Amino acid sequence: MNLISEITFLLRKELTIELRQKYAIGGILLYVFSTIFIIYMSFNRIDKQTWNALFWIVVLFASVNAVAKSFVQESGNRQLYYYMLVNPSAIILSKIIYNVILLLLLSLLSFFAFSVVAENPVRNMGQFLSALFLGSMGLSIAITFVSAIAAKANNSSTLMAILSFPLVIPILLLLIKISSNAMGLMSDTAIRKDILSLLAIDCLLIAMAFVLFPFLWKD
Amino acid sequence: MKSSWWKILGVALLLYAFIFGLLMPLKPGIYAVTPDNAITGTTSLIRVEGYNTNFTKEAESIKVWLKLNDTFALMANKIQVIDDMALNASFDIPVQLPIKKRIKNFTLVMDHKVDGASVSPSAVTLTQKADKVDNISPQWTTNPIAGLTIVNKFNFPFRNILYETIRNLYFHVSLWLAMMILFIASVVMSFKHLRSGKPEDDWKSLSLTAAGTLMGFLGLFTGMIWAQYTWGSFWPKNEVKLNMTAVALLIYLAYFVLRGSLENQEQRGRISAVYNIFAFAALIPLLYVVPRLTSSLHPGSGGNSTFGSEDLDNTMRAVFYPAVIGWTLLGVWMGSIMYRAIALKDKILSR
Repeated sequence: MNLISEITFLLRKELTIELRQKYAIGGILLYVFSTIFIIYMSFNRIDKQTWNALFWIVVLFASVNAVAKSFVQESGNRQLYYYMLVNPSAIILSKIIYNVILLLLLSLLSFFAFSVVAENPVRNMGQFLSALFLGSMGLSIAITFVSAIAAKANNSSTLMAILSFPLVIPILLLLIKISSNAMGLMSDTAIRKDILSLLAIDCLLIAMAFVLFPFLWKD
Repeated sequence: MKSSWWKILGVALLLYAFIFGLLMPLKPGIYAVTPDNAITGTTSLIRVEGYNTNFTKEAESIKVWLKLNDTFALMANKIQVIDDMALNASFDIPVQLPIKKRIKNFTLVMDHKVDGASVSPSAVTLTQKADKVDNISPQWTTNPIAGLTIVNKFNFPFRNILYETIRNLYFHVSLWLAMMILFIASVVMSFKHLRSGKPEDDWKSLSLTAAGTLMGFLGLFTGMIWAQYTWGSFWPKNEVKLNMTAVALLIYLAYFVLRGSLENQEQRGRISAVYNIFAFAALIPLLYVVPRLTSSLHPGSGGNSTFGSEDLDNTMRAVFYPAVIGWTLLGVWMGSIMYRAIALKDKILSR
């Protein structure tokens, strides 16, 4: 099997597992909606700045919850089985692709829910959506890789938080800047440069994950 | 003894940096100009306070100008030296400013045979109360700024606001550079460990990371003390480089937590090497890309000038570069001691 067919095969497997264990995705969706509902209840009127901060916090925690399970949920024996069958690069790439799609859907959903309960302050939709896309990409790459590291250790849930939060801060800072520009909170003519550097960080992270993962899996 | 020449070199360079960096006096400069405003058409007495100056020596050679631009400058017609650090300069200010505006900042330029030329930017604000007269007084152009004395002494430059704290360059900035060099060396060791699988490379990488983290904390603390004196706060709000530094140190502290939570030695070496490389890749945007995108109080970002071009002159370079090398060698030395301790412990435990 070559890499692409392996990846498509593994993606189909991820999807099947997700659909079989509906409680996982259901739990995350419930988490997102209950958080947004609490935000809606506790604020009378959300101004743009608060909207921006709350939105990205919700997306960050949703992504940690959604992506963290990607390596942790599967037992060591099952992982050993995968490693015997396929290339390790195919495993990390399929997990990353799956998590990017999952996180993109999640963040679009939470954007929709936010717009319903607390109006939609975004003026430049293209800019905001590109931030959403590149941001979910960066967050899921970093968190997927960290979950692969944390799965090897004993206290994996604590490690997930302390390893991943510092790593995603540059991505989050850029995201907050781009989206506040898209909302008209600030006007920066060089915002294209920020989007490009977000893309560059994504590429850097995916390249590192691709190169380093083969060293991580062999036990 | 032969193999430890670099330890002696490191200590010698640091001693040099400490002695010269802390004892070498600053160049003479203008510390304060009072009053900072005057009205045109009057004779005003302006008090200039110097720093490290010797006004009483060759007092007759002192000249003071209020400078607008290269064409227009007004020279003081009488100078009265009070002591080595203070003098009064009296200006006959013409009624008409040589520009269309009625209020304008002027730079004070001083020249002295003994101390050399010094400048205090935007020192005096001149206000024109009278209505416009058409002719510009010749006083603005008769005594142009010329023949400034350049004194070549090995002194550190005098900068407003910074004053003596400019010496922090040899500690704060060079500690940061040493930290970066140690982290890079530790990443190289991590790569080596992944390729060879030898535990020695992992221990080297761990020791270098520990030494680098120590340098990072020292750099942070020296920077914080400096910030209290120049920016008025230990942790200025929204200062992006400080926040990024905190995050970077969190990343490296997480590295030690990760090591602690892995028990199998072979697995610990491999996984922490992977995390070290990944964290370093995430550190580059953190320390070099993000601060350049937003405004910062630090030099080299958000329109501030970088250190290399203007602020770092040759006398400072002569101490700064040795200090960088000295801190790096000291870090490598500390790392090598830690490495030997780990290796000995392993030898005893595996006996």
